Amino acid sequence: MTQRLRFDSLLGLFPLVLLLGAWQLLGDPESPFFPAPSSWWPALFKLGQGDKIIPAILDTVRTFGVGLLGATVLGVALGLSIGVSRTVGRAVGPTFEFARALPPAAIVPVASLLLGFDETMKVVVVVLAALWPILLNTSSGVQELNPVLLDTARSLRLSRRRTLFGVLVPSVMPAIVLGVRVATPIALVITLLVEYLTAVNGLGALVGDAQRTFQPAKVYALIVITGVLSLVVNSLVRSVEEAVRRRRVGERR
Amino acid sequence: MLLALAVLWEVLVRFKVAEIQFLPAPSEIATAAQDALAGGELLGRIAHTLGVTILGWGIASTIGVALGLLLGLSPLAYRYSMTSFEVTRAIPPITFVPAALLVFGFSLKMELVLVIYGGIWPVLINTIGGVRSIAPELRDVGRMLRLSRLETIRKVVFPAALPAILVGLRLALSLCLVLAIVAEMVGNPAGIGNGLISARQALQPALMFVYVIVAGLLGVALNAGLRASARALLPGNVVKDVAAP
Repeated sequence: MTQRLRFDSLLGLFPLVLLLGAWQLLGDPESPFFPAPSSWWPALFKLGQGDKIIPAILDTVRTFGVGLLGATVLGVALGLSIGVSRTVGRAVGPTFEFARALPPAAIVPVASLLLGFDETMKVVVVVLAALWPILLNTSSGVQELNPVLLDTARSLRLSRRRTLFGVLVPSVMPAIVLGVRVATPIALVITLLVEYLTAVNGLGALVGDAQRTFQPAKVYALIVITGVLSLVVNSLVRSVEEAVRRRRVGERR
Repeated sequence: MLLALAVLWEVLVRFKVAEIQFLPAPSEIATAAQDALAGGELLGRIAHTLGVTILGWGIASTIGVALGLLLGLSPLAYRYSMTSFEVTRAIPPITFVPAALLVFGFSLKMELVLVIYGGIWPVLINTIGGVRSIAPELRDVGRMLRLSRLETIRKVVFPAALPAILVGLRLALSLCLVLAIVAEMVGNPAGIGNGLISARQALQPALMFVYVIVAGLLGVALNAGLRASARALLPGNVVKDVAAP
């Protein structure tokens, strides 16, 4: 079965291979718009020799990682308090509705003006953008909990702390993980966006630089790299989600 | 809450409790908004961004639904192309901004292409998912009634997949707005994105905040508009997912 699946997904690559093949045959390596795929690798190689590509990838991954982590901590904390207390939920509801609709791209110029062009600014923007799916999933996860669960904790006279970490957090874990999975691609996109717009560091800045200096082969090569990066990150998050789900199934038995 | 925050912000900036460089007080932002409105500049920019977002979203939705129906209905097409779509989708649309700039230059075309490209994905993926999760019995009904292929799609498949499609449409709409603003910030010199950047370069932080707030309001308005039209045009049971806040 898995053998068959793997074969099927290889078959599915057919149009992409066809497209790239046609591009290679018809494309001109010197074209300012669509340089042939074979010219992408030398461009990439040159970047590697200049010791640019690895630090850029590391910068991007670091901003992305710290941003996603910050968004998770903040989102879970806010989501839990909104989910538990109706008053808090009502008070911050409209503010959050607005903040959520704010296109993250619009925050970038403001953040860079107020905070300057540095790593902190990058992380702040990523946190602000990736926060919402985690926050909303957590708060609705709490609201959908069986009330008996919290009543049980109360009748057992568990301390607030034990209720929080022993009952609340474990039971909304799947909702949190789902939120993180939704937030992951957002965090990556926003990381690249901030880098591209402010040219601080990272892959986004590198792509922007290649475009401004008219090096199309480099641009396409970097697009491929970001694609690979995002595939890796997504499959990583998916396997974490799998692991959490498996543990829960084990608990129920 | 929003009001309380604004008052707190005003007080803090006024009395220099929190002195952050370039942070304008809400009253300054309000004045800047009035000026921008009076000059007509703000409305023109809003109209541009809104127009491109909705036009691009419409085209992206049409392509996404059509392609999604094809891939959802034909196992052959699905088998021979799905991985390609998965791989391409993984590349963040933002990274295509530089490529689009190289190919189309600083133009409206570049902005539109970017918005359409980004908007297709959520619609496509949700349409495929919706079509493939239709109960096989429903298709059997279509066969039993001897509906033609086109009729089956129109009367059975499309209505059954509609809730999933609507979710995709809603995701795509907010994405289209973001991409339009990004394209305006770096490429096409028009609309809200460009307004933001020019205000920044002219060191007019109050005006910049006006554009940020307008961008947020636009997001809220587009979402509310989509919800309202879905509720007005479609039967109640379909709208549930879209109308949920």
